[in-house]
Amino acid sequence: MANLLWLQGGACSGNTMSFLNAEEPSACDLVTDFGINVLWQPSLGLELGDNVKAILEKCISGEIQLDIFVFEGSVVNAPDGTGNWNRFCGRPMKEWVRELSDAAQFVVGIGDCATYGGIPATAPNPSESQGLQFLKREHGGFLGADFTSKAGLPVINIPGCPAHPDWVTQILVAVATGRAGDLTLDEFQRPKTFFSSFTQTGCTRNMHFAYKVSTTAFGQRKGCLFYDLGCRGPMTHSPCNRILWNRVSSKTRAGMPCLGCTEPEFPFFDLAPGTVFKTQTMMGVPKDLPEGVDKKGYIKLTAAAKGAAPAWAEEDIFVV
Amino acid sequence: MDAKASSAEDDALRAEIAEKLAGGLETEVWPRAETSEMVNDIVGRLKTEAGDDLTTKLVVAGVTDHVIEADDLEQPCETCMYFLVHRRFCELPELMLPVEPDWSCRLWRI
Repeated sequence: MANLLWLQGGACSGNTMSFLNAEEPSACDLVTDFGINVLWQPSLGLELGDNVKAILEKCISGEIQLDIFVFEGSVVNAPDGTGNWNRFCGRPMKEWVRELSDAAQFVVGIGDCATYGGIPATAPNPSESQGLQFLKREHGGFLGADFTSKAGLPVINIPGCPAHPDWVTQILVAVATGRAGDLTLDEFQRPKTFFSSFTQTGCTRNMHFAYKVSTTAFGQRKGCLFYDLGCRGPMTHSPCNRILWNRVSSKTRAGMPCLGCTEPEFPFFDLAPGTVFKTQTMMGVPKDLPEGVDKKGYIKLTAAAKGAAPAWAEEDIFVV
Repeated sequence: MDAKASSAEDDALRAEIAEKLAGGLETEVWPRAETSEMVNDIVGRLKTEAGDDLTTKLVVAGVTDHVIEADDLEQPCETCMYFLVHRRFCELPELMLPVEPDWSCRLWRI
């Protein structure tokens, strides 16, 4: 039996909604098959008010062993560092986060906001939001760069806007069943099992990427979304095209450019006008190139591939 | 599936454009669309000023019947992302014109 507590800070509840849609394993499987005892969760908990507060206090005192503390949303510090813009059970949420993180065996940050600060931390960041151990790319965040939970691990981050439900439940199962030691984390403390490959890995538009044929408008089934519509699939670490959404699709398969929501800079370019759904260029060359590719190599590759493109690559091959 | 090649209609329009350019039509070749903001400005002008008018499209986009080099980069239609190689066609939604691989315009992108 592993006790799990889930709280929300500066959050939209999107990761909770995602979690509740998990299939392999499902949220119910966590309880029935993997011995997770959900002490409280904002959308599942039966307790209200003082009864919730009592659970939190018992976790902090050790009366209830807190095995997994899950946090969704940013840590809100406004105004002026007090955290009073996000109060919960009679005190700033950030105070609960600090004490519960210190009490927990494992701390898991779910979603972009808990990981990096996310959309609430977009400049000028009026809510003074932080992620648990990062603020965007900067290591530290609310808990500090040196924080480790009682089990000796830093915060395990599962970013995404939202995180895929099965990323969440699979990591929770790994932790709850004593296999946290098998997890290897990358520089942003993301489990490598999910965040080493790219969103582009497995994308059905890869043949169009290879032959440098662009999608030029929404609704086209042909073409790659990277060249013109701002897709960040080649630069974003996620398994969105390996572990499909609802088991059937992904953004790029449905014609929606990847927004790079598992990376610290999301939302990119601070959502400045003209930057969303539009590949940013400098003298005709994309500012952000596929990871590991330099400008000179990109230009050579693109010119050669374009010249070799077969006729079918320029057509819609998905005949209904 | 039959791949779309250049049609007779495309060929006729391409010849018309070639004649305009060879005849000395002055287009806005410079400045090239160096930044994304400049791209957005030019595309905006294509929408508002040019519409379906062929000559204005060519002028605003800075179309030339030869390759332009900028920032040490040759910018032929041939390598542009909007160019359909087999149809010899520019698929930028605001242009949608038959072109030649060795032409160029200031919205070139790779």
